[in-house]
Amino acid sequence: MRPQHLVTHPRSLHPGAWWLWALGLAAAASRTQNPVPLLLVLAVTGFVVAARRSDAPWARSYGAFLKLALVLIVVRILFQSVLSSGSQGPTVLLTLPDLPVPGSTGLKLGGVISLEAVLQATYEGLQLATILCCVGAANSLGSARRLLRSMPGALYEVGVASVIALTFAPQLVTDAGRVRAAQRLRGQSGGGLTSMKRLAMPVLEGALDRSVELAAAMDSRGYGRTTHRSRGSRRLTGLLVFGGILGVAVGVYGLLSGTSTSWFGLPMLLAGCVLAATGTYLGGRRTGRTKYRPDPWALPEWLVVGCGLVPAVTMFWSVRTDPASLFLASATTVPPVPLLACAGIMVGLLPCVLAPPLPRVGPVAPVGTAPVEAAA
Amino acid sequence: MTDLIPLRGRSTMALAAVSAIGLVAFGWPFFTEPGSALDSSHSGDAPFLFVAVLPLLAAIVLAELTSGGMDAKSVAMLGMLAAVGGALRALGPGTAGLEPSFAVIILGGRVFGRGFGFVLGAVTIFAGALITGGVGPWLPFQMIAAGWVGFLAGCLPRSSGRAEVLVLAGYAFVAGLLFGLVMNLWFWPFASYGPETSFVAGDPVTANLSRYAVFYVTTSLLWDLGRSVLSFLLIGLTGSALLQALRRASRRAAFDAPVVFER
Repeated sequence: MRPQHLVTHPRSLHPGAWWLWALGLAAAASRTQNPVPLLLVLAVTGFVVAARRSDAPWARSYGAFLKLALVLIVVRILFQSVLSSGSQGPTVLLTLPDLPVPGSTGLKLGGVISLEAVLQATYEGLQLATILCCVGAANSLGSARRLLRSMPGALYEVGVASVIALTFAPQLVTDAGRVRAAQRLRGQSGGGLTSMKRLAMPVLEGALDRSVELAAAMDSRGYGRTTHRSRGSRRLTGLLVFGGILGVAVGVYGLLSGTSTSWFGLPMLLAGCVLAATGTYLGGRRTGRTKYRPDPWALPEWLVVGCGLVPAVTMFWSVRTDPASLFLASATTVPPVPLLACAGIMVGLLPCVLAPPLPRVGPVAPVGTAPVEAAA
Repeated sequence: MTDLIPLRGRSTMALAAVSAIGLVAFGWPFFTEPGSALDSSHSGDAPFLFVAVLPLLAAIVLAELTSGGMDAKSVAMLGMLAAVGGALRALGPGTAGLEPSFAVIILGGRVFGRGFGFVLGAVTIFAGALITGGVGPWLPFQMIAAGWVGFLAGCLPRSSGRAEVLVLAGYAFVAGLLFGLVMNLWFWPFASYGPETSFVAGDPVTANLSRYAVFYVTTSLLWDLGRSVLSFLLIGLTGSALLQALRRASRRAAFDAPVVFER
């Protein structure tokens, strides 16, 4: 068995696996407004992030997403309870001074605030917040920058441009700091739009100069070598891509139109997506470029993806068999515990042991593995 | 005007088709007919459906636009301008941090052509999201909307001097508002802040439109106005200098010069 198949061999998991795992949890969260499974999903993502995140700067983004999610819930509660009169129920919590709002919008300002409105807003906000936190977990576990390396070949130019942007953006910030320091030495005080102009010009000029230099460096290292593609293969990929786009368009039309022929909408959409994706993939495969040390996709990746799939499948199954426990009839009832769905979500917790531990930074490895490390 | 990414037959077709589908992906609440699949059996899935389809469409249009025709100089210019926009986005103030990068997208689209404008808008948003760690379902929507902003900046009528800067600044103001109007649309079906402001599947278009207007005015008009005014001021004050810098770089890079090998 090769070492990358072991769940104990320290390496960083393929970021795509983390994204699929998080998408599975997000799909599960998108199917319920019961706070019990939602909070469970939230806890699972938080726990796995705490167990398997790296020290990289983007690993902190889970916290940022969590804060954003809290803001989202609070905004929603404020809107539904203070501004909307239509979502109030019979249980009055408190009555604020009322301010009439002109027009027939149905809005209000202040007035009666009921428990139903607050609870409903909390549950709906919690659903979105949970989905948001799943995305945040994916952001902090699987680096989107490393995912760039697995970009399909057809997007090679865009990928290179993105890598250039990511590499030079921090340098631009340093440049701006240097320009500002120079301005301060000349006695120019910062602030206002005119100082922004004085700052923008040198920074932009520096970036443009650098782009010309970079292009020369890329040219001299053989960038832009094009491989010959036969007319037939170009035609085939074009046919696939445009057939796919046409399929998507027809599928969307089928989903939107009210006539009886709309049954073909979803299948057409799916078929179009598959065609277009195949065309783009084939078009990129013929560019004749290889990847430098590609990230392996081995057993742990499959296990993690499976752990994300299980919550989604059990949740979709529960929606079909027992919808009443996932969408509460009234916001004030005590939320029931949907056992199957919760068990499925708990499977999503397993990646905190199934994902391989991160390689430790620094010379702490045992003596025997040192040459391997050096060779790698 | 140098056209770094010329729109050929195939890429024009892809751009037009994806833009049309993109418009529907943003505005589907207004397009659903009563009794359609999105209205009845799939009304809960509809927003997720477009969230799932749009990344693929964005990838396709970017691949079609860039495949083949880009040399190292264009790629380096694209990457650098996206770095400027992305860094501005990371430094930008809080949630409405899109403002300064808008100026870069608009000026880049103006100087280097509409195809480049589209790709620059999309890549700038993408790089900004990677830098700030903010990759999410909104990303493809933002990429396509910002691509439109750059594309239309390249389509503006020819003018020069003061008039050009004024036209660009005015366009930046309008684009800032329209970007907000369109970007709110994608999550409007998720955002049920109460029956007066939220999307009701199967309602007549006018009723949904008026509810969307209420939603837009109460939630985001203030942010969008701020962004518009800032882009207007930014381009109005620094536009001519930045345009000159970009054109000088374009001359230095000599994008138009054909590559000839001598024997």
